[in-house]
Amino acid sequence: MDPSELRGKRGILAAVALLIIFVGMMSSLVKLSGNVNPGISQVYNILAFLVAPNSLSTWLYDWRGFDTLLETGVIYVGAVVSVLVIGRGMVRMRCRQGEPPVQSPPLEYKTESLTVILKYFGLPTAMLLVSYGILVVTGVSTSGGGGFQCGVIVASAYLLTTIFYGKKNPINFGKRFLVGIGSAGWAGYALCGLPGFLTTGYWQYNLGADLWNLVAPIYHTIFGDPFRLSLALQEGVFNSTPGIIPLLNIGEAFNVIGAIGLIFFAFIYGWSDSPADQDTEGGKGE
Amino acid sequence: MTESISNLWSIALLVTIPIFATIIVNLLFNRNRAIKYISLISALSLVVITILSPYGFQWFTGQPALNPNTLTFTFDASIPAWRMALEFYFGPLQQVLIFVMALILVLVIGIATNGLTKNQGPYIGMIFLLFMSAAIIIMVNDLYHLWIAVEIGSLVVVGVVAASGEGIGQKAALKYALFSALSGAGLAIALALILGLTGYSNISDAIRYIQTTNLAGMSSILYVAFGFFILSWIYAGGLVPIHPLKSEVYGAAFPHGTAMLQAQSKLMLVAIGLVMLRLFGSLPFAREVMLSISVLTMMLGVVMALLQTDLRWILAYLIVSHSGLVTVGISLGTYDALVGGLFQAVNDVLYMSVLLLGCEAVYYFGKGTSTKTAVGIAKKAPWLALAMVLGTFAASGIPPFNGFQSKIILIQSALKVGLPEVAVVILILSVTTFIALFRGIYSIFLKPAETTPLAVSGSVPSEAQEDDKETPIPRGLYLSLAILVVITLILGVYPDLVIRFLTPVAQAVSIPWYP
Repeated sequence: MDPSELRGKRGILAAVALLIIFVGMMSSLVKLSGNVNPGISQVYNILAFLVAPNSLSTWLYDWRGFDTLLETGVIYVGAVVSVLVIGRGMVRMRCRQGEPPVQSPPLEYKTESLTVILKYFGLPTAMLLVSYGILVVTGVSTSGGGGFQCGVIVASAYLLTTIFYGKKNPINFGKRFLVGIGSAGWAGYALCGLPGFLTTGYWQYNLGADLWNLVAPIYHTIFGDPFRLSLALQEGVFNSTPGIIPLLNIGEAFNVIGAIGLIFFAFIYGWSDSPADQDTEGGKGE
Repeated sequence: MTESISNLWSIALLVTIPIFATIIVNLLFNRNRAIKYISLISALSLVVITILSPYGFQWFTGQPALNPNTLTFTFDASIPAWRMALEFYFGPLQQVLIFVMALILVLVIGIATNGLTKNQGPYIGMIFLLFMSAAIIIMVNDLYHLWIAVEIGSLVVVGVVAASGEGIGQKAALKYALFSALSGAGLAIALALILGLTGYSNISDAIRYIQTTNLAGMSSILYVAFGFFILSWIYAGGLVPIHPLKSEVYGAAFPHGTAMLQAQSKLMLVAIGLVMLRLFGSLPFAREVMLSISVLTMMLGVVMALLQTDLRWILAYLIVSHSGLVTVGISLGTYDALVGGLFQAVNDVLYMSVLLLGCEAVYYFGKGTSTKTAVGIAKKAPWLALAMVLGTFAASGIPPFNGFQSKIILIQSALKVGLPEVAVVILILSVTTFIALFRGIYSIFLKPAETTPLAVSGSVPSEAQEDDKETPIPRGLYLSLAILVVITLILGVYPDLVIRFLTPVAQAVSIPWYP
């Protein structure tokens, strides 16, 4: 939008509308300050530690785990749409010629212009980032962090190496790989809901934790024991299992790596579905 | 909502099948035959599930509800208790709306997989996600999840429009992406305020809290939340003042894609409208604000449609205008008006799909859809012309088609609450819809080919020059048109086939109108 369009009557209307919104919001926030009703969150907080010591993890992946599936979907869809706008998967009607599809050219940048220091520090930095990402996703039940953070960190490492070393970089994700890992991540997250659905009828019921004793003990063994935690606290040793929460986080991490990596890839290299370009961009074609 | 089952199987499948279908077809990318079969099977399975499913709830993640009276946890959905889980409900209204959407999905998938070029995977995936977002929005009973579904729904609209790859589509898509972010943001703020006020994101729980608690000085927060809800409603449904933006989206997408887009939009309008009615319906002036926006949308949309010279754009503006008809019923909020509004939503989706698929068929004659270039098609395709004329009758509210039944209910309910001016606007809308549509259909189908200005140098749009090639219309497109026309006729003669599904919700949600 051209800012000049906001001059005159339109500008005044926009300013008045913004002022009303601002006043309304601020007055509401002031009234809510100190008066926020805890509601159902009290129950969530009382029970959360029974699943994972990191209560946030229980909130996001157990109580509201299906919300998070859809939020993960927002990232997936965001990537697919962003890359579609750039050129992946544009379609045309067979009966209609129309104008040629809009294609985005690759960015023009030269890796030769980087300093030697950056080139030598790039690889270890990327390795550290990837390691940190893995640490973040594996420690989700006990510490802050999770799949989304891991995905963003690893995708940042990919962007870093792409900028430093160009197409032939150490983290040589191809477009097929990125689409695949993103899809596998979202599908994996969604599939984690299936065992609970088949056994209890509740989609994404956490079989490993089984807080409400709805399934046979064999399911605790399958879905709970691999992630069992034993915490030595002042009050004594406390045992719990986050159940499927670590699996959900791994799914989310894959999804985010694929989605954000794909957006980086498409914006840097552009996109072409022509056969001639299939093996030249990102190492692999689709 | 008296059903006690809290683990209804069908709800989970109606949400997850489109997710898996999207992922699979996106991975298949250009393997069009596989995409066709997988997507058709998935879409058909959604229709079957919708028909066979009983009514009930699905408490995702299987957390129980806390009964505040006994302080015990329960999995019985019929007991009034604070929900810990994310709650979806599948009842008669959901059944009929999702069935119509699933039916349109099957037809659109059939048309798209036959009529589009290679690399269909991502586009077909977007079509499935349109269905999924609409199904979630109509089933979910949770403010937070409603927001996420609106977010996904808005993103998917951008994808469907941008997939055409044309400049106009890209421009419309990016504009919509920018502005639809406001819809999600508005809903997020409204959610935050209601959550802060009540402590519950479950809509029924939040309403129960509001009704049973003296909010005193905090009630002004409800007005602010209502304001943000209105913002979201306007953006999600393309109501005034952003009607040109949504019309651009409808006009820029492929016509079969627009059939899905308008269905999704109508379901969003219904779902968000009903939530607003439940949450804010008793606030003074809330329904008056909703009604004003609806009436303005009807009037401005149809005036814009009259000015267009391309069938695609006539339909784009009429879709927006008829969205106002749906929201008029919801805004009035009485039992009759709600039945009329909800029935109008069903009818609107069906007859607009007839017209949009007919518009798609016009492309096969190689002259585009402009009333100046595509002429005399009735001679070559008389059945197509007949379908378009019947679709026009339905859209204009002419008996014995379905549009007549819902419009007459809306007119009667407006008169009953003492608003004859609203009834007059509905009548004017019907007449002008007929004029706008028949003007376009006369030019494209009935006007003799020899009077075309094609031969005049410089007067022909580039689209017509480029596409001067006829292709046979696929049988699937004719079949889809026939199915939809027959349904519009059946519902016009036997409206109770749908109305009996709408009355339970209308009874539960309706509020008397105080002038």
